[in-house]
Amino acid sequence: MLDHVNGVVLGVFVFLFLLVTVLGFAAARWRRAESLDNLDEWGLGGRGFGTFIAWFLIGGDIYTAYTFIAVPATLYAGSVVGFFAVPYTIVVYPLIFLFLPRLWSVSHRHGYVTPADFVQGRYDSRVLALAVALTGILATMPYIALQLVGMQVVLQVMGIGGGSDSWYVNDVPLFLAFAVLAAYTYSSGLRAPALIAFVKDALIYLVILVAVFYIPHQLGGWGHVFSSVSDSFDTFNSENADAIAAGEAVPKGTMPVGPAQWAYASLALGSALALFMYPHSITGVLSTRNRSVIRRNAALLPAYSFLLGLLALLGFVAIAAGVKVENPQQSVPQLFEDQFSPWFAGVAFAAIVIGALVPAAIMSIAAANLWTRNVYKAFINRHATHAQEATQSKVVSLLVKFGALVFVLALSKDFAINLQLLGGVWILQTLPAIVIGLYTRWLHRWAVLAGWAAGMAWGTWLAYGVASPVQKHFGGPLVFFPGTETKVYIALLALALNLVVAAVLTVVLRAAKVDEGVDQTSPQDYHADHGDPGVEEELTPESAVHA
Amino acid sequence: MSSRRHWTLIGVLLAPAVVLPLWVPLYDHEDPTFLGFPFFYWFQFLLILVAVAVTVPAFWLSRQADRLDRVRHGLTPDAGDPTRTDGR
Repeated sequence: MLDHVNGVVLGVFVFLFLLVTVLGFAAARWRRAESLDNLDEWGLGGRGFGTFIAWFLIGGDIYTAYTFIAVPATLYAGSVVGFFAVPYTIVVYPLIFLFLPRLWSVSHRHGYVTPADFVQGRYDSRVLALAVALTGILATMPYIALQLVGMQVVLQVMGIGGGSDSWYVNDVPLFLAFAVLAAYTYSSGLRAPALIAFVKDALIYLVILVAVFYIPHQLGGWGHVFSSVSDSFDTFNSENADAIAAGEAVPKGTMPVGPAQWAYASLALGSALALFMYPHSITGVLSTRNRSVIRRNAALLPAYSFLLGLLALLGFVAIAAGVKVENPQQSVPQLFEDQFSPWFAGVAFAAIVIGALVPAAIMSIAAANLWTRNVYKAFINRHATHAQEATQSKVVSLLVKFGALVFVLALSKDFAINLQLLGGVWILQTLPAIVIGLYTRWLHRWAVLAGWAAGMAWGTWLAYGVASPVQKHFGGPLVFFPGTETKVYIALLALALNLVVAAVLTVVLRAAKVDEGVDQTSPQDYHADHGDPGVEEELTPESAVHA
Repeated sequence: MSSRRHWTLIGVLLAPAVVLPLWVPLYDHEDPTFLGFPFFYWFQFLLILVAVAVTVPAFWLSRQADRLDRVRHGLTPDAGDPTRTDGR
């Protein structure tokens, strides 16, 4: 399997990979590590992260390796709708700016570690909290799987993994990378991705800046890139005119036209709303030192959006450079291999793989926290000792990663991508409980639960019914808006149903005077900041949720 | 004075960063190009800068609004500083 492996590429890659491995384990000693062994610091890194570290950590959370592979892949494949990632990562920051400081305050007043903790405290319903927690774990697993897909694509282009008949030869490099990731997440907790995020970003920025200036320059400038892409797409569209007319092929274009604009906008809005419902994003935000760190980052994080946009356009650059790959996801790694000298290609590949390790680690930690707090402690062992909870979280972080690995190795990649899409639909259904709950207690707890169930069921059903040229079910994120010929993002439709059900049932349940539970939070809690009485410096995953 | 005016102003400031990116027909054009980029692409990059530009004043306003909210809810104007009650 090592026939067409370039030694220099591999050497640089392995060197950088080993470097972050050492960093991952050393992270246990970074910033007050003495209490790590009893999990005090494992899950949220001590919650003392300032603006600078939080920028890297949250950036590593949002802009994952998968983004770096999949977004350019859609452009390479001629579907410009994938560029929605840029408006999506613009729209998300005003939302963060407004909502998340409130969540930070109430969480630090009451010792909440997960979004489901907040739901439990606010709505006094273990069942609703369980629904939010399970949705979070369910939506996170395929997200981790996609990080592994991103790694796998890079390894294939490097010539290690893939191209062989035996599955274990194909998958051994991925398995190794996975084992290393699992080991240092286990030993260092959230500190590992926080520290590695520095290296990741330094490498990614370096690679992207070189890629977007050097490669287009080699090819005759961005103007030439865009014109050759247009020519290529026009040729494709005229050659396949019959198939397109028959609906068997999708026309390619460099801009969303007509109804596709609704798809573009609804994907951007739906994804932006969903992003901060994901447990790993909330873990990143709650690990900050105070409210201002979050708001400052809302102004600083768009720097990554710039990077993401440029990266997405590398999909076009690959077309202009004549990259020909069967799997569009390989277009950017292949572009790097073709255009860069071997040592820099090694740096670029390492950057993408390390870029997958950071979010995968944070995601597995967040899912483990949800399990320990809202399933294990709430239902299975209400009197668990600290040691038992520590073990739970660490072991579950391994299980979640292992589950993701099974996804990638056992199921088709299209399936993994579609589960990710479903993940977005699912996680958005927790928005009423979390975001609306941050502002008002008007919604009744059982109405929120019913709305969640309705949104989950309808969203999954809609997604199941989407066929694509390659598969019958879960073929894409878009469906026709009921009664129209305009396609929109399923997640938004399901959320609309969710909100209607929650509002209508709230009126009914209130009229029927059904017990709405005791709200543990007070209005003041939503404004508290670091240094106020009762605001915990550190929130620990194994401490009890107190009233 | 209530913090409502501050929050309204923050909302007005941040609105373009939410509305403009979602208003696709506004920028769904080839021309004018800039450095070879079609309008569709460079306008969205410009929007990133717009978002940053409006978030910075919103950040300063939010600090004042937070102080007013804190006082309204019975907290000291600045966290961790019980001696300062002048609201600044």
